[in-house]
Amino acid sequence: MADTYDAIVVGSGISGGWAAKELTEHGLKTIVLEAGRPIDPAVDYVEHVMPYEKRYRGMGNRNQVERYQPIQSQCGACDEYASKFFVNDLDNPYSTPEGKPFSWIRGRQVGGKSIMWGRCVFRWSDLDYEANAKEGVAVDWPIRYKDMAPWWSHVEKFVGVQGRREGLAQLPDGEFLKPWPMNAAEQKGREVLLTKFGGERLITNMRLAVLTEDHLGRQKCHLCGNCYRGCVTLSYFSSLNSTLPAAKKTGNLTLRPFSVVHSVIYDPRTKKASGVRVVDGNTKEMFDVKAKVVFLCASALESTRILLNSRTAEFPTGLGNSSGELGHNLMDHIMGGGATGTLPWAKDRREVGRRPDAIYVPRFRNVKTKHPDFQRGYGFEGRAERAGWDRGSHMNGFGAGFKKSLIGDLGPWEMSFDGFGEMLPRHENYIEIDPHLVDAWGIPALRVNCAYSDNELKMQQDMVVTATEMLEAMGATDIRTFKEDNAPGLVIHETGTARMGRDPKTSVLNSHNQVWDAPNVFVTDGACMTSNANQNPSITYMALTARAVDYAVGQMKRREL
Amino acid sequence: MQRRKVVSLLGAALALPFIPRNVEAALAFGQRLHIRLGDVPFRTLNRDQQALVTMIAEMIIPETDTPGATSVKVPEFIDLLLSEWVADDEKAAFLAGLADIDTRSAPLGAPRFVNLSAAKRVELLTALDEARRDKTGAGLAFGRVKALTVYGYFTSRPVQQDILKTQMFFNGYDGNVPFTPRV
Repeated sequence: MADTYDAIVVGSGISGGWAAKELTEHGLKTIVLEAGRPIDPAVDYVEHVMPYEKRYRGMGNRNQVERYQPIQSQCGACDEYASKFFVNDLDNPYSTPEGKPFSWIRGRQVGGKSIMWGRCVFRWSDLDYEANAKEGVAVDWPIRYKDMAPWWSHVEKFVGVQGRREGLAQLPDGEFLKPWPMNAAEQKGREVLLTKFGGERLITNMRLAVLTEDHLGRQKCHLCGNCYRGCVTLSYFSSLNSTLPAAKKTGNLTLRPFSVVHSVIYDPRTKKASGVRVVDGNTKEMFDVKAKVVFLCASALESTRILLNSRTAEFPTGLGNSSGELGHNLMDHIMGGGATGTLPWAKDRREVGRRPDAIYVPRFRNVKTKHPDFQRGYGFEGRAERAGWDRGSHMNGFGAGFKKSLIGDLGPWEMSFDGFGEMLPRHENYIEIDPHLVDAWGIPALRVNCAYSDNELKMQQDMVVTATEMLEAMGATDIRTFKEDNAPGLVIHETGTARMGRDPKTSVLNSHNQVWDAPNVFVTDGACMTSNANQNPSITYMALTARAVDYAVGQMKRREL
Repeated sequence: MQRRKVVSLLGAALALPFIPRNVEAALAFGQRLHIRLGDVPFRTLNRDQQALVTMIAEMIIPETDTPGATSVKVPEFIDLLLSEWVADDEKAAFLAGLADIDTRSAPLGAPRFVNLSAAKRVELLTALDEARRDKTGAGLAFGRVKALTVYGYFTSRPVQQDILKTQMFFNGYDGNVPFTPRV
């Protein structure tokens, strides 16, 4: 006998938390199925643990990590403090072809990756939504900025976003809390670039889901600087800090950790899903949960994996795959191109407080003029900071003077620009079920086939050039460029594989994230993306989720679901 | 931004050259996990190596009006990493480098670094500081000791609490605070 609810939400991260909040606030009895363990902020958050409280002073338990988290530990946040928020790679295998690595970084716990996410939140513009159609790439988005704007506003007002209004067409302003000031070195950099680039290359505040003022019962940020380890004052947005408590408050939420969803159950009589099949994370027993509507919010690759594993006579290659596009058009961003340099100014200024945000240079390539070498564009994340004692191992010298310098001086301001560029959707980048591989719960695992193309690599090269130009414009010295050879996935902005579209023959989801093949199944996490823009994606998943819930609830009220 | 390994945290000289160690070592390590940091005696460095590492660490960050590397147990921290953290080949290269430091001391007047005159010790360390990015030998060993001394010193409890006075709560952010170096 299966448990029955109005709605099932698979996953409790950024997207699942929003689905839970919106569904329960609409009065739907909702169960959230989370594959991982529960998290208790009072016990599990570790942002104030000092290095001397850790055996290896924060450098990580190298032996354990190399054995159990060789992939997760490619992400710097998977350190001695926070590695517990990342999966065990042995329990969660996936395969890649020889010579085509993909770094799949995952968090399986209540809160998902929203516990250790980067918290950068940007709107898109129609430059992004129209790009596929204008360039003949992949398929057209079925939505535009006007469809999303009210939903971004809706989520931003709840999330709490600090940002500076700039009035840029390519990076629309949102509902911002007051921004933190830039530090003295960044402010000077902003002024210099405004003069030298006429506003085309602009240093603005990172738009960040961290509170600069008390907001909806959550406290303003206390500037400890360790957001990825949790936050006892709930000052950054995560589902654990924000949406899940709101959902719980309605009395309509059931949250079940240790619930690994295997597949969606399809009922051929109704041509809809009747629920999901679940493996208990501890006992490994299989059971079903029934509901009128299913929201897949398990992360881009996991949601699609569930659909690929939902094979029936009607859908032999997976539910939602009538178009043949399920699993295809996998994207990430490309990072690791840029430069660092020593600034000539503000030597008599320092920071007090470890501000979690940084600065951002919005996209300027292919905005007004066309670049000859590549399509789309990139933005720069960056910051100016003084290294303090950390510069000691690179500095010449030893002895009393050396020590005194490390204690009493901070070193020069170093400015860095690190590009994050758009990756084009391509059919040949895809995931599939590996016929020979299962995870620790016996669920068929993924094979990921993904590589960057020339377009991304040329963009990365351009990042090096333009970052250097900006530093030179500032009169920076000792400019050090970098161009990293990262596998896709490591930006942790993996998206696509169940794209939205206008035509069921070429897409998996319609304009409201509804699976064409099963109208009561919605996919609202990164899987749904038709292209990836260059902006950090999470706030878009949140807005799409809230929008899809609104649509689903309307359909349910009209008895169309 | 914590997407990649924060190499700067460790000092590039420290973090980059370490390579994955083998599974047997990892298993053996698991059995030792219960040992707490405070209880750890020197397990890798012998008495001569302890003396050498301790003297170099103290020369890098000496006791002045504030504690030096020895009193905040930097040598113990280095031994801990050598015993539990670094790979066997890395450890071998490091220990060979320590031996090379003594070899380099002989022409300066003593068979061991610790027996050199103070002036000669400074002379040799100055040369090794220039060579700290070397991949082998005395330069490598000194580079490692230097990176770990800086890191171990500044992440120690006494230094974090009493010298850096590290705070976890700030009432607000100010990025434009007047600053005059105290050097």
